[in-house]
Amino acid sequence: MFKLASCDGCQLTLLDCEDELLAVAEAVDIVHFPEASSKVLPDGPFDVVLVEGSVSTTAQLDELRHIRACTRVLITIGACATTGGIQALRNFADHDEFVRAVYARPDYIDSLTTATPIADHVGVDFELRGCPIDKGQLIEVITALLVGRKPAIPDESVCLECKRRGTVCVVVTKNEACLGPVTHAGCGAICPAFARGCYGCFGPRERPNTRALATLLKKHGADDPEVRRHFRLFTGYSKEFREESERHE
Amino acid sequence: MPERIAATELNSLVSLLQADGYRVIAPTIRDGAIVYDEIASAGELPVGWTDDQAPGEYRLRRRDDSAAFGYVVGPHSWKQFLFPAREQLVTLRVRDKQPEWSAVADEGPAYAFVGVRGCDLAAIEIQDTVFTKGPFVDGRYRARRDRCLIIAVNCTEAGDLCFCASMGTGPRADGDYDLRLTEVGDELLVEAASARGRSLMDRLPTQAGGEALQVQADQAITQCGDAMGRSLNVTDLPAKLMGNLEHPRWQDVAERCLSCGNCTMACPTCFCSNITDTSILSGDETARERSWDSCFTADHSTIHGAQFRPDVKSRYQQWLTHKLATWTSQFGTSGCVGCGRCIAWCPVGIDITEEANAIAAGPGHPAPLPEPKQYEARENDGQVPVPVRVASVVRETHDTVTLTLDLPDGYQHGHGQFNMLSLPGVGDVPISVSGSNGQALEHTLRDVGKATGALADLVTGDVLGLRGPFGTAWPIEEAVGRSVVLIAGGIGLAPLRSVLREMIARHDDFPHLRLLYGTRTPNDILFSRELLGWIQNSRVRAHVTVDRGDSSWDGNIGVVTKLIRRKRLPKDGLYFLCGPEIMMHFALAELLADDVPEKNIYVSMERNMKCAVGLCGRCQYGPHFVCKDGPVFRYDQISDIFGKSGF
Ligand SMILES: Cc1cc2nc3c(=O)[nH]c(=O)nc-3n(C[C@H](O)[C@H](O)[C@H](O)COP(=O)(O)OP(=O)(O)OC[C@H]3O[C@@H](n4cnc5c(N)ncnc54)[C@H](O)[C@@H]3O)c2cc1C
Ligand code: SF4
Ligand code: SF4
Ligand code: FES
Repeated sequence: MFKLASCDGCQLTLLDCEDELLAVAEAVDIVHFPEASSKVLPDGPFDVVLVEGSVSTTAQLDELRHIRACTRVLITIGACATTGGIQALRNFADHDEFVRAVYARPDYIDSLTTATPIADHVGVDFELRGCPIDKGQLIEVITALLVGRKPAIPDESVCLECKRRGTVCVVVTKNEACLGPVTHAGCGAICPAFARGCYGCFGPRERPNTRALATLLKKHGADDPEVRRHFRLFTGYSKEFREESERHE
Repeated sequence: MPERIAATELNSLVSLLQADGYRVIAPTIRDGAIVYDEIASAGELPVGWTDDQAPGEYRLRRRDDSAAFGYVVGPHSWKQFLFPAREQLVTLRVRDKQPEWSAVADEGPAYAFVGVRGCDLAAIEIQDTVFTKGPFVDGRYRARRDRCLIIAVNCTEAGDLCFCASMGTGPRADGDYDLRLTEVGDELLVEAASARGRSLMDRLPTQAGGEALQVQADQAITQCGDAMGRSLNVTDLPAKLMGNLEHPRWQDVAERCLSCGNCTMACPTCFCSNITDTSILSGDETARERSWDSCFTADHSTIHGAQFRPDVKSRYQQWLTHKLATWTSQFGTSGCVGCGRCIAWCPVGIDITEEANAIAAGPGHPAPLPEPKQYEARENDGQVPVPVRVASVVRETHDTVTLTLDLPDGYQHGHGQFNMLSLPGVGDVPISVSGSNGQALEHTLRDVGKATGALADLVTGDVLGLRGPFGTAWPIEEAVGRSVVLIAGGIGLAPLRSVLREMIARHDDFPHLRLLYGTRTPNDILFSRELLGWIQNSRVRAHVTVDRGDSSWDGNIGVVTKLIRRKRLPKDGLYFLCGPEIMMHFALAELLADDVPEKNIYVSMERNMKCAVGLCGRCQYGPHFVCKDGPVFRYDQISDIFGKSGF
């Protein structure tokens, strides 16, 4: 397990798998896990590496290239690693201005002008989405890897999960702004179950019709800046959400 | 005789049902909508509430009376109780490396559904047909259905999205109910239609004099039917829709449609499901689970090497034509009951009546669909694999192996049928029988993905799961005495080998046999030694061609269609084709150009499969299911849709 620019939430998901963690620990030999121990970075080679976080600094880019070179299966986990994450919002803005506004000594800050997903830099074997990732899905990916099959991670819309759990649609009853129809399933449709629209944490689903959703948001009263804000959240730098948000510049 | 009861007495009905041991499921208010959920008393009914509905919109509103049933249908349907959104089908226990599969019994409660409308009663009957009318029967569904008691309600006020009158399913709730209510003012008319219903009626505080109330009730129901919010022109609708697949409206709706699948989830008749194996990391017992699926996902129509419905247009087309057209062929009724749910719960408000009316009015020539097939219902759902031992493994080519399995007890198959082969935690995949004798069963499979890869790695003595045989076979008896030409591409030779062996063994019945076989390179030729044997003993005239030759190859080069052109083939012969769809497409073109009648040609089709028994909806191919009506089809049955995009 490695981390780049991220909040550690996805790593915590693995620690959270209390019941399954023992089985995981039995099946694999965990050699590096920053959130669980402070052991120094081993050299590799590794059979499997889970990487959390996006590429935000040149040091991270170097580290990432090193990891890739000595890893057989590289799995990226979470919105940061797969789409750039919330920090990728800076890609839409003036990076230097951000740095000046936030830090007292901007000259101490050494960061790239963009925060980008890992697949932009090195080859990735599997991307597990989410902000944070879902624990059931993480276990599924690890198991599938051990058994040697394709992980059963559906690329369908959040709506299907929402309907399976019997939630009443918040768009239809309340005109709530919801990214569910264009968002990758996996969270179990949590937000609509608490009467909120989906924030798109898992990023775009297969073939999202973002245009049709933007039209709907507008019909329900959103103006261009609002539509842009809806698409630019935790996974706003993903290709499809980015392109849709740019249509509302 | 109908009787009358005061609306305030509804709670005595709920109490009676509870006393009889039922869990009472009824309309009740939750999260801004009228949902179906368990109620403890009649006080939880939405008394004095109604729903205002428009495409993509649903709002609750207070009524100015205290009607208990003064609304129509909401986001839920009764299918969530009879066909749960998630359900375990089979469990698997591995003991000493021996997998053991067993069916999950249904031990759910007995439900009493209160407030089932005409449309929903029809929807339940439609799902009864899907799940219990064969060839395989979903026993868990049937058990839940048999236990369930239905209290129907006639509609006296239509909603803005209702069109049951067009579909012939309402507003009167006719069909398989136990008790039926009609609300008139502050009274209810009560009618019983079954022994269970009469027993309830006997115990309810009803009064005689139902006839007078009946007159008023009938009037209200008739008026309701005349005041439908929507209508659908159903005259010749299936043929009109199938004749207008090129209508520009499909593209238009594809631009609006989110392909979110909400319509399919909300629909009370949609039954597609996915079947997955749960993880085996955390224990030695795992489960195979079925969950609601939708034709709007990519996975639904994806097989190795092809996605049959890649875009929103073809997915919407599949949904609409299935509901309103091909369903008729599959199950003998429309798949739509006119409840309007898909209109309300579509976030962007796409209206099935508007789309279907517009498309059916298009200029296309009506294309009638085949008559519905009748199946004999068996007693099981075919989902439980039996453990079988691998007797031997032969590596045929670099990516293809033949697994010889011990023959399961009592197993019999037709040539061309397939089995589902399972590995614990990996899932199961359809593989044709490539040969058999009294003791063993052969499967020849190409390693293209995770499941086939894991199967190809098996060694002698390993145990895997097998369920089957499924599907149709090559029509071997029809071929007796006639010329038979087998045309195979790549791995497509495997399903043909078993029939070929049988015909070779019965030389007197099949004196004129020909095999045209095309493959990628000389190294990809399957069963090469056996092939040589056949050629040498001249019981079959075999011609092999490769796409790309090498230095050792002095045979034919080029696609298999070239062979068809070169050999003079009998017009009155029978043709069996199996291979990639594109190869069959070109082969068919050659044969048809040579005036071979469509009914003399048989093809073996492939679509995504999960259940293999006609219950998961995945392998739909227009009006057919590849798993139960195929994989072997007589070409004239599918010539209308073969090679067409979207199918
Ligand atoms: C009736 C029938 C008979 C077949 N007979 C043979 C045979 O004799 N030999 C052989 O090598 N192959 C055969 N196939 C194809 C074989 O089933 C697929 O290659 C296999 O399902 C691929 O699974 P996978 O997990 O290895 O591949 P992946 O690409 O990882 O597939 C993932 C999942 O998609 C589904 N899927 C993918 N491809 C197919 C497919 N072609 N058909 C149905 N579902 C699919 C399965 O559920 C599979 O588990 C047959 C298919 C059908 C429908
Ligand atoms: S297709 Fe629409 S109107 Fe017809 S039964 Fe399904 S949800 Fe109801
Ligand atoms: S028709 Fe509506 S509900 Fe159905 S998939 Fe399209 S947008 Fe979703
Ligand atoms: S219906 Fe399930 S595979 Fe055919």
